[in-house]
Amino acid sequence: MIIGFVTGTGLLHRAHPFTGVTIALAVAVLAFALPAPVGPAGLTVMLVLLALVAGLPRVLVTALTFAAPFWAFLFLIHVVFGDNPARGLAVAGQITAMLLGSLLVLASVHPGRLVDALLTAGVPFSVAYPLAATLQSVPRLQARAGAILDAQRCRGLAVGGSLWRRVRAVVPLAIPLVLGALAEVDERALALEARGAGSPARHTPLNPPADSHLDRAVRWSLLLVVLLAVGVRIAS
Amino acid sequence: MTIRFDGLGFRYPGSDHDALREVSASVGRETITLVTGRLGSGCSTLLLAAAGLAPHVTGGTRQGTVTTLGHDPASAEGRRALAGRLGFLLPTPWTQLSGMAFTVREEVGFGPANLGWPRERIDEAVQRALVRVRAQHLESRDPRTLSGGELHRVVLASVTATDPEVLLLDEPVLELDSAGARLVYDLLPAMASERTVVVASTDVDRAAEVAGRVLLLDRGSLVAQGSPTEVLGTASTVAMGASTTVASIARSAGMNAPFPLNVAAAVRCLAR
Repeated sequence: MIIGFVTGTGLLHRAHPFTGVTIALAVAVLAFALPAPVGPAGLTVMLVLLALVAGLPRVLVTALTFAAPFWAFLFLIHVVFGDNPARGLAVAGQITAMLLGSLLVLASVHPGRLVDALLTAGVPFSVAYPLAATLQSVPRLQARAGAILDAQRCRGLAVGGSLWRRVRAVVPLAIPLVLGALAEVDERALALEARGAGSPARHTPLNPPADSHLDRAVRWSLLLVVLLAVGVRIAS
Repeated sequence: MTIRFDGLGFRYPGSDHDALREVSASVGRETITLVTGRLGSGCSTLLLAAAGLAPHVTGGTRQGTVTTLGHDPASAEGRRALAGRLGFLLPTPWTQLSGMAFTVREEVGFGPANLGWPRERIDEAVQRALVRVRAQHLESRDPRTLSGGELHRVVLASVTATDPEVLLLDEPVLELDSAGARLVYDLLPAMASERTVVVASTDVDRAAEVAGRVLLLDRGSLVAQGSPTEVLGTASTVAMGASTTVASIARSAGMNAPFPLNVAAAVRCLAR
């Protein structure tokens, strides 16, 4: 399961970071603006194809892992205990499309490139860096959680079995995870300040990404599609 | 003097005791200064205060004055004046990565980029810093794939990339094996020839080898300062557990103070 940047040279990796972010934002709006369940389902199919073309098939496994509990819950609510399977299908499609769009961006947009793109666009470092730091924190927390889980297993903690045992295993995982992350934040703040991150000087983008005509065309096209879909939705 | 502490006291937010009490000392450029003492004696806090990170980042309250390169490092004016002139190495290398870099070259360039240097100047500074820590061969590597020792050297290159006039090293070999620690200490004399170097460490065995001056702290107070032999070779320092292994053995063996701090000095003593 991957959450966060994956090294690669695929279609999305080569794209300008703003293009990836625009795709994720457009998907989030279109998932609700397009007529359900066909619209969200179509979006999901397109994103699956995009993930395959962009060389990120593992993102599909992650999306499936996260979406499956939602699907099960929606199946119970709308099919087993309700009588509106179309609604359940619509919501499932919306959640899956948004999840897939976000995971694709996380996997293909390096936080550093995003910061460089923001700095080149004139965004202050103090705004751009926290955004990237948030993106970076996901894989780091994931790795830390894995290490803590292994350590707790070595000390005899049972993490498998019944649902109740799994829930109980969350506590010895969550507490060191949160406390460790807080301690790391302190040291990271010291390190960043010591390396001049608080300097009033304008940060030099080390590797500003190229913004091609194709990138800009894709972003403008997506914006037009979103405006059109929202307009049609409001009018209807 | 490069750094001067006058009656320095410091208390962290939420703490009920002072991390530093009435510390008055000065640090010059002529030699590497070792700040040592038992764990929790305030060595790291003294370095943080010298860099202005305490209280600017840590919070807390400071008494007395700190002057680094002629400025109060915790004041807004001092921070502006000292930007890029101080290098600070923290104990754990992975928390010091910017997270913005694909390559070691970019990681080392993060500090100069924060100061708004032009790219050509950053490239030159990065090359110099990597050569300084003998890590040129790592420049194209992804920082996330480095071994502990390699990462340590890259972080050291990162904090020296702006050619700081003062280099503050807090437990610089905490995460390293013996060979890695030896390499870091081998690099320090050359670095100290160009700038003021202050090392806070409880690894006295290695640090005392390169230090020319020692500040000994105990529970936040400065209890001794002078040459390594003057400070670490005394019976009280050895009894405190803040001296070298060889000094402890010499004391146990019934030798008289000042105790030898390393094997070579011990052999000379025995030969006499």
